[in-house]
Amino acid sequence: MTMAGRPRAAALVLFGPAALFAVAAMCVALWTLADDEAWGPVERREAAVVQSDTCARCHPQEHASWHRTYHRTMTQLAEGDALLAPFAGEQLDYLGFRATMDRGPEGQPRVRIEPLGEPEQEVFAADIAMTVGSHRYQQYLARIDREGAGEVWRLPLAWHVSEGRWIHLNGAFLEPEGNLGSEEDYLRHLSRWNDNCVFCHNTEPRPGADADGSFSTQVGEIGIACEACHGPAGAHVERHANPLRRILAADSALEQDGSIADPSEMGADRSSEVCGRCHGNRIARDLGAVLRDGDGFLPGEELARVSRPIFADSVLGESAEAPFAERFWPDGTPRLSAYEYQGLLLSACHAGGEGLGCGSCHSMHESEPSMQLRRDVRGDATCRSCHDEGSIPPAHGGHSEAVPCAACHMPRVTYGLVQGMISHRITSPDPAALVGLDDQPDACTQCHVDRSRSWAAEGMAALGLRGGQAVASPSVEESWGSRVLLDLYGGDPLQRVLAADALAQRSTPVDAELRMRWLLGALEDEYPAVRFAAARGLAQVANDAAPGLIAKVGAYDFLAPVDVRLGAVDALREVLGEDPFAGQEERRRSLLEHQERQLLWIGE
Amino acid sequence: MSADRHLRLSIALVAIFLAMGLWLEAMYGLRAEGWVDDPLRREFLRLGHAHGALLGLVNVALGWGCERLATPAAWATKIRLAAWVGASLVGVGFVAGGLLHGPTDPGLPILAVPAGALMVLTSSVAVALVRPSDILPSSG
Repeated sequence: MTMAGRPRAAALVLFGPAALFAVAAMCVALWTLADDEAWGPVERREAAVVQSDTCARCHPQEHASWHRTYHRTMTQLAEGDALLAPFAGEQLDYLGFRATMDRGPEGQPRVRIEPLGEPEQEVFAADIAMTVGSHRYQQYLARIDREGAGEVWRLPLAWHVSEGRWIHLNGAFLEPEGNLGSEEDYLRHLSRWNDNCVFCHNTEPRPGADADGSFSTQVGEIGIACEACHGPAGAHVERHANPLRRILAADSALEQDGSIADPSEMGADRSSEVCGRCHGNRIARDLGAVLRDGDGFLPGEELARVSRPIFADSVLGESAEAPFAERFWPDGTPRLSAYEYQGLLLSACHAGGEGLGCGSCHSMHESEPSMQLRRDVRGDATCRSCHDEGSIPPAHGGHSEAVPCAACHMPRVTYGLVQGMISHRITSPDPAALVGLDDQPDACTQCHVDRSRSWAAEGMAALGLRGGQAVASPSVEESWGSRVLLDLYGGDPLQRVLAADALAQRSTPVDAELRMRWLLGALEDEYPAVRFAAARGLAQVANDAAPGLIAKVGAYDFLAPVDVRLGAVDALREVLGEDPFAGQEERRRSLLEHQERQLLWIGE
Repeated sequence: MSADRHLRLSIALVAIFLAMGLWLEAMYGLRAEGWVDDPLRREFLRLGHAHGALLGLVNVALGWGCERLATPAAWATKIRLAAWVGASLVGVGFVAGGLLHGPTDPGLPILAVPAGALMVLTSSVAVALVRPSDILPSSG
């Protein structure tokens, strides 16, 4: 071979390809920079859903952090590790029926329900198709055409993860138990997935409700995946297929191109709406369209375009009735979970969308799966970002630094997922405003469970804390016992659940034996949810303070027939002693009558 | 580029990118912010370190090859220049692309990498193919 030739042959051979590449890259870069389609606005609303595996190609870290969350496993196909319950032939007898959870010939999980003692009379039998939830409890879905084609139904039984047992959903919601042997009461929570659960437990759902009552339900991706918060990503993926565009977009000035929504780049108002879409029950502006095509919300756009959040005074249509009032405390604070967004909106810290947002404390990608609290603002750091130690000392109001801000300013006055939860309405305790009232718990007595509200109101001034003057005199009942005790024996079901939850807290500065004795009374409650809260609370306190009682507490089953339950309660009374109103029948009756006047039906 | 200068600069290239390796190890050991918490940056700094050091050695090999194969001086001068500039562009391109990266991709300096790689490649090919008898008219 000969390389002899023209004078510049060597330079051309050695530098030519690189120079050619440089010129070509520059041309394509300039063309990309000048291309409106590469940078201009895109129509996200019509974009296709690409699913999380596609996102993982460019965002592996974000995909991995999301993959660890309970959002991902909110809905799953009923196979493999997705199933948390054994389905090995477990049985749950409740309300006159027996549910058997086992597997079919091909290993498919299934549920069969029959009247107790009548195994031939099948009430219900179904193969499990999908699961819902994986953190607190797991519910199960089956394809059954009960009222129309294409239906999927949520079964009335769930697997409670931490308890490691089956529960009936009558015990998860705040409703009276129902009548023994009543199929209607037993199947009360057999609810249709297509127009209920599908919305907040999947990504970009389209219920596909048809006028003939059938459903052609589709979801962009099963579970809560990337595009639930970022919106459909088809346009984003298409645009970023050009590698030079991606490289040029590394310049932060070009990064935000509008092809995808990024809640971390939004203000507190817009980003919180992304969460509020599901963590804040809403009323759709066009229910028919929602049932047909989905909720129409596009992350980054105003949530108010498609719906309004439910508040205590919300009405439906022209009706003057406020059907959601019982979901809120009298001062308007939400008392159920899935109203966290409303709690935020009602908080002064939110400052009309310019202050605190969901992302101030929570993160999808920089957090532990449970609670998803941001790693970089642990403890009181978020509060301290505005309320510095100069203006509010760490141990103000007679409380040590061990008491976090949230303990008093976000008290556990919310119920959801079969447990007490903190309120997301950030407030300053003002027990004086509630003296004489018995319809709402307060932060002070939810922790100081052996104290009255008047004690709390007087203490506020003594400790140098802000608080109003008592507007009313204490009620007669206040001399009978602490606020939590009165709530437990005479409150509405939600107060009773939260009183039981309060008595179970490790941080409560009250003797464990006293708390266990008080909790005993709630084991006889008419509402299974209250009994469950009391039983779990009792087990928790016994585990911490009285290990010898654990077996006796374990013998109590909140779903067992009443005679079996009472037998277990009697055995516990022999050890713990009589309840606080023993020998005071008049007081007990008065509280019970008060309780009975406050029936609650808070279901889905 | 003369043979001596090329050898010195190549060894310097190896030294620089090996030193960078020490720096990266230290960042890892110290759990430096912007290093352990930024996988994309980490990946591209590692690529820069590895390619820079390795291509520095390739340069040493190419310099030796030119002498061993008696590559004509007119070619050898340009081969050394292209190989060294190419190796530097690859190493620096990875490093700068990683330091200036966007959310999913390296920054604009990454475009230096293919250009540099092409120079190293053409240099290697030239060392392999050019014979002592391939004298350019301009040099002969």
